[in-house]
Amino acid sequence: MGILDHVWLGIVAVFTEAPVATVLGLPISITVVMVALGFLGGIVVGATPGLGGPFAMAISLPILITIFGFNPDALLPVLGFLIGIMKGATVGGAVPAILFNTPGTPDSLMTTLDGFPMTRKGEAGKALRIAHFSSASGDTFSDIVLFTCAPFLAITVEAYLDFPEKAALIILSLAFISAVVGDSVWKGILAALFGMFAAFIGTGEDHHPRLSLGSDALAGGLPLISVVLGVLILGEVFAALEDMWREKRATDAIAAQAAGGDDRLKLRDIRRILPFVGMSAGIGTMVGALPGIGSTLAATLGYATGRRLHRGEVRFGDGAPEGVAATEAANSAVSGANLIPVLSLGIPGNVAAVFIILATETISGFNPGPAVFRLTPDQVNAEMVVAFGLFTAMVLANLLNWTIGGVFMRSMGIMVRIPKQRLLPIVLLLTLTAIYAQRPEMLSIYVTLFFGLVGYVMRRLRFSVLPFVIAFILANNLEEAVRQAFSATGADPWFLFSSPISIAFMALAALVVVFFARGRERKAI
Amino acid sequence: MTFKSFGAAVATAGALALAAGPATAAWKPSGPVNFMIAFAAGGGADTQARLIATELERTKGWKIIPQNVTGKGGAVMARKLKTQPNDGLTIGIAVTETFGYNMLAVKKAGYSADDFTFVTTTAGSQMGIVAKTGRGWKTIEDVIAAAKGGATVKLGAMSAKLADIAYVIQQKYGVEFNTVVMRGGRKVLNAITAGDVDVGWVAGIQAKGVRAGDLVNLMSGEAARLKISPDAPTLGELGIPYVGGAKFLIVAPKGIPADARKGIADAVASVLTDKSTKAAQFVQRAFGGPQLISGAALEKLIVDGIAGSKKLMAATQ
Repeated sequence: MGILDHVWLGIVAVFTEAPVATVLGLPISITVVMVALGFLGGIVVGATPGLGGPFAMAISLPILITIFGFNPDALLPVLGFLIGIMKGATVGGAVPAILFNTPGTPDSLMTTLDGFPMTRKGEAGKALRIAHFSSASGDTFSDIVLFTCAPFLAITVEAYLDFPEKAALIILSLAFISAVVGDSVWKGILAALFGMFAAFIGTGEDHHPRLSLGSDALAGGLPLISVVLGVLILGEVFAALEDMWREKRATDAIAAQAAGGDDRLKLRDIRRILPFVGMSAGIGTMVGALPGIGSTLAATLGYATGRRLHRGEVRFGDGAPEGVAATEAANSAVSGANLIPVLSLGIPGNVAAVFIILATETISGFNPGPAVFRLTPDQVNAEMVVAFGLFTAMVLANLLNWTIGGVFMRSMGIMVRIPKQRLLPIVLLLTLTAIYAQRPEMLSIYVTLFFGLVGYVMRRLRFSVLPFVIAFILANNLEEAVRQAFSATGADPWFLFSSPISIAFMALAALVVVFFARGRERKAI
Repeated sequence: MTFKSFGAAVATAGALALAAGPATAAWKPSGPVNFMIAFAAGGGADTQARLIATELERTKGWKIIPQNVTGKGGAVMARKLKTQPNDGLTIGIAVTETFGYNMLAVKKAGYSADDFTFVTTTAGSQMGIVAKTGRGWKTIEDVIAAAKGGATVKLGAMSAKLADIAYVIQQKYGVEFNTVVMRGGRKVLNAITAGDVDVGWVAGIQAKGVRAGDLVNLMSGEAARLKISPDAPTLGELGIPYVGGAKFLIVAPKGIPADARKGIADAVASVLTDKSTKAAQFVQRAFGGPQLISGAALEKLIVDGIAGSKKLMAATQ
């Protein structure tokens, strides 16, 4: 049996097994239904401030297993649903970022930089269309790379990245995000260090909860979702409320959102953003194939590269469609490539992929790993059929993304008409509710409010919040990687400089900081 | 016969009766039961706990509210649980190590085994030291021989206790491994697959890879040999008097009513022994079947675990 036979069997499995309904004489299989449901659910979850794909996947996995059981025929419906959520949430995530300046995840923070100024100019509809087009393009590109070179790419990457290299790679990512985002490299690094400090409370390998001041509430560490969403969403809501209050005092009225700007996506626009989409899709795919870094770095890299490339009249940060395109294409291109290490090695690249692994662990019949792509003459490799079934489900989700996703995004533009003074309290309430639902105790609300204040102060002092958020998320990975590298090298204090690759990463980290610091100074003069 | 061991006997009889047919006047909670899960959402341990809760609701008509209370190897959950009312309406699930090594390893754990009534275990680990088949090693002795021959052996351990046991192995054979502590067996397994470590402790999820022929169990960390690799020697057979494995454990605040303790243990047992329930099927798949220890036998298990952990800590000081 050749590869093509397996591809065909995979496609057949997705479309014909266990039909649940018939439409126009064509049977609709359960997998197709589940992909569609997951995708629609994912969009709603992504577009809701405070909710994200990984949360929805964590909630739905035990429920899906209760419904479908553990037999191999449960694999495709369950994985299809999870993939649907993953893709839907990525597209939907741009909605609150563009419309309300409140990114639901760190990934879409860079989307606010140009998306929200576009909304202010009355071009919300156009921004949403561009976000959708770029996101869907990036996603499709990444999937194609996954389908064509999943097996050998991951094995090559893993062969070169050992513990010390992984630690150096995280340091490089942090240095890059601190240096590129915001208006001062040193402010960025300060924000990142503050984020790491917050992440170190109550965590670590020791059984004693460090920095928790004997408080049980802090012993388990600060709840991730409260800190991240507090800074990203509440900080922005507080700042916006203050702006409105000042505006009202000055002019006795709150300016309504401008409408009637250029809202359509024309062929000319697509031609303009295409180079940025292409560049970012490539960057996102590359980052996605690396283990443990994730989509935020991709979005930042995509945006920064786009800013260098850009020569248009509207500058990045003032509402340039290219800025939205560069960010959205990059963060969406991560999701497909992320499955490269999952399928060929069984190692997740980010949080969303973890749930795909958990699902395959629970349901029998598919073990992500080197055996998946092994060909035996005259025999069907059932796992390869599942892998191609999974690819088919991804293509299906992509098609839904291009069609239904587009309709959804266009319809979202209507929310701009809701006056800000009504909308912001709703966003605030939704966010707090979403956080409480994910961790039902008052502590999570207090932490959210506190970090909302932190986010507000950072905004007022013109500190970028992204380095803080990313450092908070990556700090524990970094500590783990550093500890592991140190012990794996037999307690070598120079482990970060033990191989050419880790030396290169460290040198790049230093270069990035120096380069961007000098560039800024010159601009200041 | 003390009251507790009497309770255990009744519990076992009750479990058998439940498995066989309808039970007589079983204990019923007077309201919704809070169920604290000491594991992160979405993982295998969490799925097990949630499926048990679902099946208890379905088969017994109880109302159960599961909640993840994670952190510090179950210590955060234990500290919270011990302050809850002991009326049988608040229970938790953790691992035996939460009331053993993990508790002893801290100066001020904030709880002790005396703060709890232990209800029942649900399942156990199939702990082994695992390597990729491609390395050509068959048992742990091959690894020791390689280390003696000058090779650097990197060993992944998912807890300080397992790192300690690995240290005892190294001392006994006069070799040195670079022991890397990682969070969770899944990460150890990933590191083995990626070649970041050479061997590592994995608690049961290696079964699929072992069956597929990609991985091999070099030794058993349990008291008995592993179900899937009967040829791998146990720690005890190698003259190392410790057990690396752990069991999942349902626990309540100290002094819950005896009938509630028995009622919960019986109900969990009936769910896990009834092969038609999703919980039983999952436990079979993920942990190789239920392991139900309750009453006096469970108390002995905890006491023995504490004694063993103390001895291990003294040996590695």
